[in-house]
Amino acid sequence: MEKRILFKYIDDPNQIHIDTYIAHGGYKAWEKTLKTMQPAQVIDEVKKSGLRGRGGAGFPAGMKWNFVPKDSPKPRYLICNADESEPGTCKDRVLMEQDPHGVVEGMAIAAYAIGSHLAFCYVRGEFVKPAALMEQAVKEAYDKKMLGKNIFGTGYDLNMVVHTGGGAYICGEETALLNSLEGERGMSRIRPPFPAVEGLYACPTVVNNVETLAAVPHIINNGGEWYASMGTEKSKGTKIFSLSGHVKKPGNYEVEMGTPLSYLISELGGGPLDGHKIKAIIPGGSSTPFLLPSQIDAPLDYESIAAAGSMLGSGAVIVMDERTCMVWVIERLIHFYRHESCGKCTPCREGTGWLEQLISRIERGEGKPGDLEKIDSICDNILGRTICPLGDAAVMPIQSALKLFRDEFQYHIDHKKCLVKSEFEFK
Amino acid sequence: MADTVATVTLTINGREVTVPKGTTVLEAAKSVGIEIPTFCWHPKLKPVGACRICYVEIEKMPKLQVSCATEAMPGMVVNTESEKVKEGRKAVLEFILINHPLDCPTCDKGGECDLQDNTFAHGIDDSRFDFNKYRFIRERKSTFDDYRIGPEIVRNQNRCILCFKCVRANKEIFGEYDLGVFQGGNISEIDTAPGEKVDSIYSGNLVEICPVGALTNTDWRYKIRVWKTQQVKSVCSYCADGCNLTLWKERDKVYRVTSRRNDVIDEGWICDVGRYGYQLASVEGRLTTPLIKKGDKQVAATWEEAIGLIARKFREIKDKKGGVCIGGLISPQQDCEALLAFSKFFRTQLHSNNIDFRTEYKMLPEKESPYYSRLTSASFRIADIENSDTILVVGTNLIKEHPIVHLRVRKAVNQKGAKLYTLNPFTTKSGDLSRDEIVHVPGTLEAFLNGLCIGLAEKADGEGNVRAAELKARLEPNTTAKAAEICGISEARLNDLAEALRSAKKISIIVGELVSGSPAREAIAAAIHNLTVVLNLNERGQAAILSRAANSKGAERLGVMPSLSKELQQKLKSMWGGFPETEGRATDRMIHAAKKEELDALLIIGANPVASFPDGQFVREGLDKLDFTVVADLYETETTEKADVVLPLSSWVEQSGHFINLEGTMQRFEAAIKPVGNSRPGRQIIEDIAREFKGGLFADAHEIAREMQELLNVEPRPSFPDAVAEVKFAEEKIEKDYPYPLFVVDEMHHFGHLTERSRSLAAFAAEAQVEISPSLAEKLQIENGSLVRLESETGKLVLPAKISEMLDNDVILISRNFSGTAANMLQMRKKRIDRVRLIRVDEK
Ligand SMILES: Cc1cc2nc3c(=O)[nH]c(=O)nc-3n(C[C@H](O)[C@H](O)[C@H](O)COP(=O)(O)O)c2cc1C
Ligand code: SF4
Ligand code: SF4
Ligand code: FES
Repeated sequence: MEKRILFKYIDDPNQIHIDTYIAHGGYKAWEKTLKTMQPAQVIDEVKKSGLRGRGGAGFPAGMKWNFVPKDSPKPRYLICNADESEPGTCKDRVLMEQDPHGVVEGMAIAAYAIGSHLAFCYVRGEFVKPAALMEQAVKEAYDKKMLGKNIFGTGYDLNMVVHTGGGAYICGEETALLNSLEGERGMSRIRPPFPAVEGLYACPTVVNNVETLAAVPHIINNGGEWYASMGTEKSKGTKIFSLSGHVKKPGNYEVEMGTPLSYLISELGGGPLDGHKIKAIIPGGSSTPFLLPSQIDAPLDYESIAAAGSMLGSGAVIVMDERTCMVWVIERLIHFYRHESCGKCTPCREGTGWLEQLISRIERGEGKPGDLEKIDSICDNILGRTICPLGDAAVMPIQSALKLFRDEFQYHIDHKKCLVKSEFEFK
Repeated sequence: MADTVATVTLTINGREVTVPKGTTVLEAAKSVGIEIPTFCWHPKLKPVGACRICYVEIEKMPKLQVSCATEAMPGMVVNTESEKVKEGRKAVLEFILINHPLDCPTCDKGGECDLQDNTFAHGIDDSRFDFNKYRFIRERKSTFDDYRIGPEIVRNQNRCILCFKCVRANKEIFGEYDLGVFQGGNISEIDTAPGEKVDSIYSGNLVEICPVGALTNTDWRYKIRVWKTQQVKSVCSYCADGCNLTLWKERDKVYRVTSRRNDVIDEGWICDVGRYGYQLASVEGRLTTPLIKKGDKQVAATWEEAIGLIARKFREIKDKKGGVCIGGLISPQQDCEALLAFSKFFRTQLHSNNIDFRTEYKMLPEKESPYYSRLTSASFRIADIENSDTILVVGTNLIKEHPIVHLRVRKAVNQKGAKLYTLNPFTTKSGDLSRDEIVHVPGTLEAFLNGLCIGLAEKADGEGNVRAAELKARLEPNTTAKAAEICGISEARLNDLAEALRSAKKISIIVGELVSGSPAREAIAAAIHNLTVVLNLNERGQAAILSRAANSKGAERLGVMPSLSKELQQKLKSMWGGFPETEGRATDRMIHAAKKEELDALLIIGANPVASFPDGQFVREGLDKLDFTVVADLYETETTEKADVVLPLSSWVEQSGHFINLEGTMQRFEAAIKPVGNSRPGRQIIEDIAREFKGGLFADAHEIAREMQELLNVEPRPSFPDAVAEVKFAEEKIEKDYPYPLFVVDEMHHFGHLTERSRSLAAFAAEAQVEISPSLAEKLQIENGSLVRLESETGKLVLPAKISEMLDNDVILISRNFSGTAANMLQMRKKRIDRVRLIRVDEK
């Protein structure tokens, strides 16, 4: 069953307007926060809710907010990460396009919780429409005095800026995002220092995903316990899954954490296309290892998907049926990661390039004996050796494909043609 | 202090290591001699952890860690040589090398390349990469990538290992944004920002910092293999900062100059003038033999003939009219030995006090006021700038005059949060860094400073400063409002600065040549002096007028001036068994005396007053009247043209000696090559003349060293009470006919009259230009490069215009470094601010 909380009004075209949003109970949480809660109480409530980051890593939101040093004399910043560029992921875009005030309100509450008076929404450069809608929502919020000076007469000031990004996947990585926002090239920074201590302009900064922030008003309105009553023991609340690939009804579905993958694919997504069967599933965006059809009953929560050998990531479920050549899939993916590597650290920069060369020659039927072992070894030399997780993200699907579908790769090398396409003549 | 620094103790390769808290694992290892390979790490840059060669294994951490960016923590157990570490390093080297051209045989970095060295030590001897290597080709259709990114720098992206040190240093240390990273992934490349060139005064450092042969300069490339060269310790001979240099030479040729890092002075950075200025030693046209004027020609002569003639003529004049009819000008770029010999020759043999080293500035007095000399001799430490929380820069385009002091100011501001205020008649590069860039009406600086004193004295009086009441009384009835009005600055800004200074804990006040070169220098110095008194600066900071050239400080301390402090005079008298009683003349009065035929001869060493002394007309007329002029220099100049005897002078790379930098630190430099042709070092020339004239000046090398040391032991600061100085409020009159204030300054990439001969420096700027602001250019409809005519009351000059983004008010800057452009013809010696009009010359 879908459980629409963030998506409650997603089909109402007027939800983008502040009046409709308010009529639907919007900005109540913001008012409640400012008028009745201390920042520490907000953080407590969010901690209680068990809300974890929806940007990929699943880090507990309340705990992250708590890392901001209480005694720092510097200004603090809140950043909403709306760079959404992971192949397969398309949920943040829908939230911004259909319910932008929900994002603004969540940002406002989070900003208050960390003592920030300036919040940024960093929107992916190509997201022209979402950026325009966010911009409009921010303007409406200013007009209605939900933002600006002395909000609700409480003396609290908050400004909000919508910034369109530099146009690279890496700009979604939080430290590269900070560089990009500062006007530098989007390249990751080493941690420590963590952004919560030294982020934007070397000031304490919290970066959260759009979906994470959009959940916050609901937690304030209904209480952390209410949110924690949904989901599993460690993965609370609801999550939006972006279902794509070889299914009948691809789309974004909000379900309770712990809903079985099979339910999402078969019931909500209508199952595989007629006459075809599922070959592999990417459960959490293009950086996560594949699952096999035999694992389709795995519950969609952080722990269960990890136990199945993959990651929940950003919740982008990509379904592939038996016509899909895994060499081709991996070639597309490594092409993407090679292109998106920021170029800063050696293993990722050089390794992704080399991997792309090797994998595309295998795909072209020009692979050489030993290439697979070489790929294994290059992957080992990248995994866990880079500045940011992009290196790992590039490698994990390759390692997974080589484990689960090694014979397809070997076939390409040995027979100079495709095991899958020769059977189905699919292109 | 030292014992309160918190430390951490960790174990590295089984050894216990204790380091200050905050040290990285890499530096902790280094501190006990454990070497870890690095590429992207640099001691002066923030770590970025990019190259990943510096992996170490740390117990309880599953992944390899980059030691350059990992802070040492108590109890850490680090292994720098485990199998996992070795294998990790090998992997990084393999990655770096897959697309590397391995063109070591033709690469200038060969033999001093971090990539060669690290691969040699830690790499593998085979590659598993079996594709064609990726090639960047920008300028040549070959595997080479000869892409010029600046006047002197060539990029070969194929060799670049993307350590980003060039881009990082450029931004972090030099504040330049002309270089960046473009493209992405494995085709990322280092390139200039669109429309930019890498042409800052620090550009050469980027070549030096590059660990491989990706950035080379045209100075060094393809000339010699590094292992064939020898290294010679040197010190820069240009500005007074005193950067430590290494000269790289083979036989009788210097091939390049690099920094010899000295953390109390330069921190491992040098400016391009220091880096490329050496080239002027060996350019076509060096004077290699003495010349004697016969009729209206100068013809070659032997040293014996030349020295003989000089000694004879000097004796004649001395016997007939007295030694006081002979004067001497010597360049402050001469070493201490030459300066002392010069002074000794004039004072003990000619019995004349007519000596000076200051040939660039107007109306210099014989004797500086106590306030002025207190500020020139004040103790000042470059390294202390970074301990100041408030910095006031007065009367200087600091980045040009003292590039390395400017870097310390940048560091103080950017890394330590100091507040910078600048106070200048035009906008400068320091403005980018400052809280407030105050641009005053030219010629009104002391009014502003006195205004500051008024603001501060009122507060300080209440706070119990003993001199404040006295100062207040002196300054009355002037007000901050009046001061602000005179200088064209709002009173609020003046008050803000006063408040910043008042509440500062530690202050550095840095004063430059727009003060020392101004005829109003004494009044300005008095005002600054009052400021130091009311701020009680003795106890909370430093203030100094910085000396200009590499050995200006040496010239002051050794007494190469017509009138000396009592202490110095006494010391010389006892050391030399006598001291001339007559009054000496400074440059200005020597020329004046020549004009009136009261001075008959001049001995000029390394200076070019005809082109540099402000008031070209005056100096030309003066020199024309002289009976006998001797000029020693490297090349023919406007001044050697007027000489009866021309002597070929050696450059500083051809001799050893000492310079005293602006902090008063004496530093030795060694000769790299033999004197070019028959040239001789300044000191030798003076001694040769003296020997012929009367007798040797020094018994031996020990004696000159001893005399130098004794003089340096004399306390340089004039002793007088912390009194309040006389106060002056100048108001500048604007003249309708000549509306624009003119400043004759050094070109960014030049210093003095010889650097135009350096090929590399000429690549940055080869001719004088009229620098104006974009707004003035628009007003007068002048375009970049179009010809303009400058007219002053005394002269005219036609030059190309350069529209400078740095400037934003109606002033005009021209450089004094190019022969063929006698900028001093526009100057008038008695005028505080030179003024010109500017006319567009329409193309014929
Ligand atoms: C290569 C890369 C790309 C990323 N892209 C995004 C993104 O587009 N949106 C996002 O919210 N997080 C992205 N992340 C994760 C962020 O770094 C960060 O963890 C997240 O924004 C934190 O928010 P959360 O705690 O709310 O999930 C990316 C991470 C990596 C390594
Ligand atoms: S050009 Fe040199 S300094 Fe710059 S990134 Fe490349 S290797 Fe490093
Ligand atoms: S000119 Fe000055 S700053 Fe430049 S290298 Fe020489 S001493 Fe250093
Ligand atoms: S030296 Fe440590 S990562 Fe480059």
